[in-house]
Amino acid sequence: MVRGTGAMAGLITAMLSVPAVGFLLSPLWASTKEIWVTVQGGPIDDIPEGLPTARIASVPIGSGPPAPAVNRIVYVTKYQGKLYAFSNICSHMQCDVHWEPSLSLFECPCHGGLYAITGRNVGGPPPQPLPQWVHRVQVDAQGRHHLQIANRLEEQI
Amino acid sequence: MSDHTAGPEVPVPAEQGDFIGLVPAPIVGPFRRSWAWFDDRTGITGLLYKGLYEAVPKRGGWAYTLGSATLVVIIVQFFTGIFLLLDYVPSVTNAYSSLLYLRTDDLFGDWIRGIHLWGAYVLMLLIGVHALRTFISASYKKPRELNWISGVMLFFLVLAMAITGAMLPWDQAAYWTATVVTNIPHYLPVIGNGVRTLWRGGDFVGPVTLTRTFALHIWVLPALLLGLIGGHLYLLRRHGEFGSWVNYRTTTDNPSGEIAERIRHAEPPYPTRGSEPLYSVPSETVDFFPDQLFKDTVVSLVLVVFIFVMGLISGAPLDGPANPATLTYVPTPEWFYLPLDQLLVFFPTQLVGLGVFVIVGIGATLMLALPFIDRNPDRHPIRRPDVLVPAFFFIGTVIYLALLGVNRLYNL
Repeated sequence: MVRGTGAMAGLITAMLSVPAVGFLLSPLWASTKEIWVTVQGGPIDDIPEGLPTARIASVPIGSGPPAPAVNRIVYVTKYQGKLYAFSNICSHMQCDVHWEPSLSLFECPCHGGLYAITGRNVGGPPPQPLPQWVHRVQVDAQGRHHLQIANRLEEQI
Repeated sequence: MSDHTAGPEVPVPAEQGDFIGLVPAPIVGPFRRSWAWFDDRTGITGLLYKGLYEAVPKRGGWAYTLGSATLVVIIVQFFTGIFLLLDYVPSVTNAYSSLLYLRTDDLFGDWIRGIHLWGAYVLMLLIGVHALRTFISASYKKPRELNWISGVMLFFLVLAMAITGAMLPWDQAAYWTATVVTNIPHYLPVIGNGVRTLWRGGDFVGPVTLTRTFALHIWVLPALLLGLIGGHLYLLRRHGEFGSWVNYRTTTDNPSGEIAERIRHAEPPYPTRGSEPLYSVPSETVDFFPDQLFKDTVVSLVLVVFIFVMGLISGAPLDGPANPATLTYVPTPEWFYLPLDQLLVFFPTQLVGLGVFVIVGIGATLMLALPFIDRNPDRHPIRRPDVLVPAFFFIGTVIYLALLGVNRLYNL
């Protein structure tokens, strides 16, 4: 009798645990839909060399229930012949990084992280470079270059 | 109906008969008859009697008001929290606007929100002072180890309530708090990334982050909190209020005889089971009601008035709506998280995980394990320098970190 009661109680617990735990853990195996958007503000041809320029991209999150797209910063940066599409997401605690002209560095206001124009972490606590959005360049009929980004970062931070 | 009208037939114990003047024998009049009816079926009088007339140490009662004040403020938090739920919508599209509505259109809505915020601030301080008082008077020693441990766990739960609550308004402060706080677990070895993904509901802070945090703040943490508070109070009543060393001095030249005499005349819940004889009964006790309850009520009243006034004149701030595309917003933690935030500055690159988890983990473990670390039976603070000196160094370090954080963020 006692053993039977224990077995039934165990069965109840197990039955309820399977859906509950699966539900709880579902974000772990939910795949993020990759969505591409064009960075706002027009072609990137006249962005000056050596000056990171903040543009906005309206990017859907791609996971979870339907929600409006979120505005993201894309620091379009041309430097030594290379094109970077930096996010404003600090690799340390993901605070809002900005380009600080007086330092010629990207600076994070939270804990003082610093990044060079190439995104390399050069000061403060950040453990990794400034992450870039996954990006590609498209050329339109007039030969102008448009930047597109996806809703994920190139580097895992 | 006629059963309870005649006095002599109703058995009312003498000591319950004059219970706070509510049920004097004979039982006459509609109120006293209803009380007697209800009492027959529930035993409410005995329960109240037991609750109110338990012995507490006579001296130092003002120092022992902090626990009940903490409870009162937690009750304020529960009620104001329920009221906020009447307006608040836990979604990334509506959370902010529901609080704007509460601010502009709802009578006293913003006051309720201010009380909830200032209640949280006062609660933090109160728990700190309550723990400090318990620590200095060594009330955590045998057999009250679990009182201390449940109290430390309650402190951690309240910290978790504060941090989850801070994410709910979905203004700039909330969004960036959510971003930083949900990012911290990612520095855990092995499971870190998984924990962050589970809390956020994906790689980025988004709609699922808010609903999951809301569920934690509204149901999961309060349920744990209530259960632990019940346990904490049960243990308090089981072992009795310890008081402090001043309540256990012996005054004659025959201390063991004096202590034996105290134990013989102890009133419940004394003598404390499992305690050394010297600390099992305070030298003088009074009933919890009315002496201690009066002091408790005075302190609670002062604090509740302070919370109500600050909730009205200072209120709770609401920044602009959450905007990940800001280049100017400077996220600043609430003051009680400044020491942790400052640790994040100190630990660069690959040591972030060490700084956050090892140091905080050691601190938390030391707090929880205090009753087992400090096995010195003496209760007098002067004779316990081995724990008091390190502890004050620890507290001083925490305050110093907070001051460094203030200096860094506000350039004072």
